[in-house]
Amino acid sequence: MQRRNALKTVAATLGGLLILPAWADRWTPQTVQFAPAGKRLLSATEVDLLAEITETIIPATKTANPPKTEIPGARALRVHQFVEKMVADCYDKAAGELLRKGLNSGVDEMAQTVTGKPFLEGDAAQRLDVLKQLSTSTDATQKNFLALVKSLTIRGYMSSEYVMTNITHYEMAPARYNGCAKV
Amino acid sequence: MTNFNIDAVAQNTGTPDRFDAIVVGSGISGGWAAKELTGKGLRTLVLERGRDVQHVTDYPTTMMQPWEFEHRNQLTREVREANPIISKCYAFYEGTEQFFVKDAEHPYVQAKPFDWIRGYQVGGKSLMWARQTQRWSDFDFDGPARDGFAVDWPIRYADLAPWYSHVEKFAGISGNKDGLASLPDGEFLPPHDWNCVEKHFQQKIAGKYADRHVIMGRAAHITKPQPIHLEQGRAQCQHRTICERGCPYGGYFSSNSSTIPWAMRSGKMTLRPHSVVHSIIYDDAKRRAVGVRVIDAQTKEMQEFYARVIFVNAAALNTNLILLNSTSNRFPNGLGNDSGTLGKYVAFHNYRGGISAEFDGMLDVKTDGRRPNSPYIPRFRNLLKQEQSGPASGFLRGYAAGFSANRHARADQSGLGADLKQSLFAPKLEGWRVGSHMMGETLPKETNFVALDPNKKDPFGIPQLAISVDYDENDNKMVKDYQEQMTEMFTVAGFTNIRVRDDHRTPGLDIHEMGGVRMGRDPKTSMLNRMNQLHACKNVFVTDGACMTSTSTQNPSLTYMALTARAVDYAVKAIKNGWV
Repeated sequence: MQRRNALKTVAATLGGLLILPAWADRWTPQTVQFAPAGKRLLSATEVDLLAEITETIIPATKTANPPKTEIPGARALRVHQFVEKMVADCYDKAAGELLRKGLNSGVDEMAQTVTGKPFLEGDAAQRLDVLKQLSTSTDATQKNFLALVKSLTIRGYMSSEYVMTNITHYEMAPARYNGCAKV
Repeated sequence: MTNFNIDAVAQNTGTPDRFDAIVVGSGISGGWAAKELTGKGLRTLVLERGRDVQHVTDYPTTMMQPWEFEHRNQLTREVREANPIISKCYAFYEGTEQFFVKDAEHPYVQAKPFDWIRGYQVGGKSLMWARQTQRWSDFDFDGPARDGFAVDWPIRYADLAPWYSHVEKFAGISGNKDGLASLPDGEFLPPHDWNCVEKHFQQKIAGKYADRHVIMGRAAHITKPQPIHLEQGRAQCQHRTICERGCPYGGYFSSNSSTIPWAMRSGKMTLRPHSVVHSIIYDDAKRRAVGVRVIDAQTKEMQEFYARVIFVNAAALNTNLILLNSTSNRFPNGLGNDSGTLGKYVAFHNYRGGISAEFDGMLDVKTDGRRPNSPYIPRFRNLLKQEQSGPASGFLRGYAAGFSANRHARADQSGLGADLKQSLFAPKLEGWRVGSHMMGETLPKETNFVALDPNKKDPFGIPQLAISVDYDENDNKMVKDYQEQMTEMFTVAGFTNIRVRDDHRTPGLDIHEMGGVRMGRDPKTSMLNRMNQLHACKNVFVTDGACMTSTSTQNPSLTYMALTARAVDYAVKAIKNGWV
């Protein structure tokens, strides 16, 4: 309801001249809409693996100081959905193939080499190790796959509601410009 | 108020297709025509080919947070592939798709490559414009006659100055009174603030060059609302810098937030969206235009509307298209086209050149908040006279430039896992970056023209516009000079790692196309007289970008607004006195 309250403030400023539009009530934070099953880029299994990869890239952590509350990682913020959505809708078709190839073979091949078991069977440290190896892999598919997923994970995470609200404190209407603010 | 509706009285009082005035288009100049005409008591029909866009109510993305956009404001592959032209426009993104014309909607012929950027809705492109508003000076109006291109402007600054004031007060223009002869001061609201590096640049340039000035941009933002703005229901700009999605505060000027609702409240305006104007009806017996033919975009039916005066404000090239398509026994080559100049002498602004650099100093300060504006460098090349020696003698006219400095914090993204997260949450301030882009005057030439394609029709059966507009050697030389001069100026300011660019963008992407229905003193070489009337059909006025005899280097919208208000004032006098 933040949006409607913000609009109400505007309306009050303008002495009630503003008519509140219908859409001010209708939006929900869950803006990610997916194509029906079967038309999605990724299968349920691939989505699960992608979620764990994004969580390994940006994991849930605790704040350094008490009360040591949890700062969610990529999985809890559904960044994997964002990654799938962007690759499916915005990127070239080749990126979709790269994503699926990585999820279907690239990641687990590397996991077998590094840890001797599939990615999902490894613990957090082992998973991180696998991704580090992928990032420096001489295999172009493996390396490009990680670069693609990593860049989209960072983008999706940093532009999530949680991070922009609680960490980076995005201001929609700063109502100011100070060109010489002390650092 | 006098009843001007003479035709209605004489022919068929009270029918819904008869008005005192018709305005074709509801964009930045059409909105002004509507406001001024209704303000003087004329029953006015405003025809808009697109849908209605009501202030606030029809800005679906204006209050959306970044994370609410499905693709975080990036265009989808489907949209990009279906719209290679409009996808090039800097203001076209997920949050603004609804305000731009898609490529297939209104096809045109690129006789030469031209990106035609359009907004078909009530408000037109005034919803998404860049809001820079500078007055012309006599150095600009004198240009064609002094330097020997195009034809002499039939007006000078003194003709327009009171009308600049008139529109500025209502629209709300922020700026500083800089006292420059090249860029006359206006009725300014307080200017936006500088940052330290921009101020540094201003001082260094002032210390080195007597004739070059760096000033704060003059922009159509309400920095301090006056009673006239509050009366419009508009409030102070909140520095959101997402203006092109529509502003719920009315913080910047648009037809939607300002002139159109104002005209509506007069009770004198009939606004008719979905009305594609096919042509203007010329009556051979009455020897004047009597109305317009409209195709209803929804029913595809053609209908006629009649009025005593007609203002054509369809946006520069569409105004050309309508006049070219308005043929009659008297005007077989397009309405008012005795001179044969209709569609010709189209010009635009050259935005190809740019420059970027870094500044190592002032690391103890940064910026805070956002600013919907930036500093501006008025034209200094060939300003007082055409240079006969030195680099500027190699080309006619000159360029203005935008300038800005900024400082961002960036995170090291090299790690993975908890290390990466920690680094993302602790971005480090980088040094200052500075940049500039040029806005060059292009010369109106007969060889830069638009015409009706003889075969191709649009979805309404109206001939497609064939656009044949290109750069020339004068433009290339100007890009080079801009790069050289800005490099020198950046060096003077101590900027480092200076990089110049020429992006070779296609004409049109500047969205400053002008001309084709130019003003002039002589009916043999121009279309419009000094009051923006067609020389040969005096009850038709053209006051959008099509009327421009030359382009100079100012962002043009403010001049269209002033020309429109001035022309309406004259048109109403002309009706009263029976001149039209």
